[in-house]
Amino acid sequence: MVEKNRYSRFLEKVVEAIDIPPSKYRDAVDRYQAVGNYLEDGEYPGCAGELSIYPQGSFRLGTVVRPIRDGIEASYDIDLVCELPIEKYWTNPQSVKLMVGDRLKEHGTYRKLLDEEGKRCWTLEYAEQDEIGFHLDVLPSVPDPLPPSDTAIAITNKQGNVYTWSASDPKGYGLWFDRQNQAAFEFVRTDQKRAILAQSSHIYASIDDVPDALVRTPLQRSIQLMKRHRDIMFDNEQNNKYAPISIIITTLAAQFYQNESDIYSALYNIVTQLHAHAVLVENGTVDRSLAPHSPIKRSPDGGWYIGNPVNPKENFADRWHEDNHARARAFFRWVAALKETLFDILEEPRLNVLRERLSATLGAAVVSKHFDLIASGVAAESSVPRIHISKSTPTRPWRA
Amino acid sequence: MKDELVAEIAELQCVHRGLTAIPRAENATILSGPLPFEASADDHSTITECFEIELTIPDNYPENLPYVRETGGKIDSDYDHLNGDGTLCLGIPIEKHRIFWQQPSLLGFVNRLLIPYFFGYCHYKKYGTHPFGEAEHGAVGIVQHYMDTLELNDERTALAVIAFLIEHGYRGHHPCPCGSGKKVRKCHGQALRDLQELHTARTLQNDFVAGLDVCIAMIKSENLQIPEPLDRQIRRILNKMIKR
Repeated sequence: MVEKNRYSRFLEKVVEAIDIPPSKYRDAVDRYQAVGNYLEDGEYPGCAGELSIYPQGSFRLGTVVRPIRDGIEASYDIDLVCELPIEKYWTNPQSVKLMVGDRLKEHGTYRKLLDEEGKRCWTLEYAEQDEIGFHLDVLPSVPDPLPPSDTAIAITNKQGNVYTWSASDPKGYGLWFDRQNQAAFEFVRTDQKRAILAQSSHIYASIDDVPDALVRTPLQRSIQLMKRHRDIMFDNEQNNKYAPISIIITTLAAQFYQNESDIYSALYNIVTQLHAHAVLVENGTVDRSLAPHSPIKRSPDGGWYIGNPVNPKENFADRWHEDNHARARAFFRWVAALKETLFDILEEPRLNVLRERLSATLGAAVVSKHFDLIASGVAAESSVPRIHISKSTPTRPWRA
Repeated sequence: MKDELVAEIAELQCVHRGLTAIPRAENATILSGPLPFEASADDHSTITECFEIELTIPDNYPENLPYVRETGGKIDSDYDHLNGDGTLCLGIPIEKHRIFWQQPSLLGFVNRLLIPYFFGYCHYKKYGTHPFGEAEHGAVGIVQHYMDTLELNDERTALAVIAFLIEHGYRGHHPCPCGSGKKVRKCHGQALRDLQELHTARTLQNDFVAGLDVCIAMIKSENLQIPEPLDRQIRRILNKMIKR
């Protein structure tokens, strides 16, 4: 039986390895600020006032993980909102999208980095040779206040040659997430910044230079780990179009999080509450002793509802009923796998089996790197530390 | 003591509970005590043993790695893999660094370098062979290591590779120092990049001196020729080293 504290430290190390390193983070911020400054300097007909450029999604929320595509670690995705100060009714989605695209194409470097026009965004591909790079998705938008939120925006959608608006509120969502995360953040901030500084003293001169955006609470760590687990599980599958989407994972985790102070307890709580909702697939009733609130709901017509906490009219699960509830089924299959492969597995007494199974779930490289944290713990119960010498380690003795 | 080191020592002591800090030496932190372990390796039988050790962590750790003495008298004093000062010779320096960086902490050092060394010693005493092989002593072992891991033809080429790393680090578009005629990135690119990451200026310089040592001996005994460009490169590097 693996001890909880040791397992928590192990999970912590695993997530650290899939997080964005401080140097890469700094590169990414430099690049997106440069793009932002350049976009701000442009002339956009009809614009009254300053452009507003800000990150959204995992980069904003501190839940970035290095994505996996076809079994290989791929580039980080960074989403950047580019909000043009134009009244929504004085313009149209097509001209907003194209104004931003045209401005990017005027720049020698960005023109070369630019991908084909995306559905909602313009993508700049910073794929550095050999090294892992990132793509920067620039999302053209205009303000579209939706009381009580004054941060809501309208983003553009392109289908064929038709452009339409859709509603979004990344700033509002970010602030909501910060509130869920606030108490834990205050608690871990100083210690974590000190640790980051110690490891990256070539990047930061003092603790005050370490950005808040690099601090991770057990909530953020749990979300990162769940996303990585999803990426690996669905990367191997044919039907990965039904894989749970990050916004749903993030929203539910943030609602279930109870300020647990370590990643094991946080994740265990989140997964247990998610798992309690699996009965909804067969129209059952959620056990209230396991999950007191239900951010996942069924509607009388058989549909599903997971509301955007800053805009209840937006339903993140609006497609869950399609294809005989394929997305709902995939979601709860994934939740069951989380429970089994990250928690039930701890009962496994055979170390080599435990190691293999964790490797299959989280990636072999990172597990082999930190498995000692668990393995020595299990062995400690039988008093003598037990070490396995793997083929890649033994060095041959020498003499100077 | 740095916070980080305190945390690493605590992590080490969680697992290897017998090790305790003893009064500080100059420029180093010392841990001492019994190190019991049960070690297994693929294709070899499990060994359970306990060695008394003294682990010295230099102040510039992790740039310089810790060194270890066995203080319980279990290792024969004429064992082939002890350094002149009685410290254990865990392996070729660059190989030691490579393994350390797989899990860069004191716990990693003990589990991945020290215990395999003891495992090898016990195996050797029991069966007369080293389970993972042993390296040639001194400079020859270092040069041989480059030849083996990079699949180089001769000692001169190993020296050329080390000289290249000193002068250029990693340069993908340069011709590969192994002499294949290909560009670095299409030839020993990954290997050179890995080496560059592991080496410090000091370890690189030590390996260079080792390479030179081996080649000079060969020049004396069997008329080894050093081609003109490599010769000039060696002189440049030596000049810089002397000025420093």
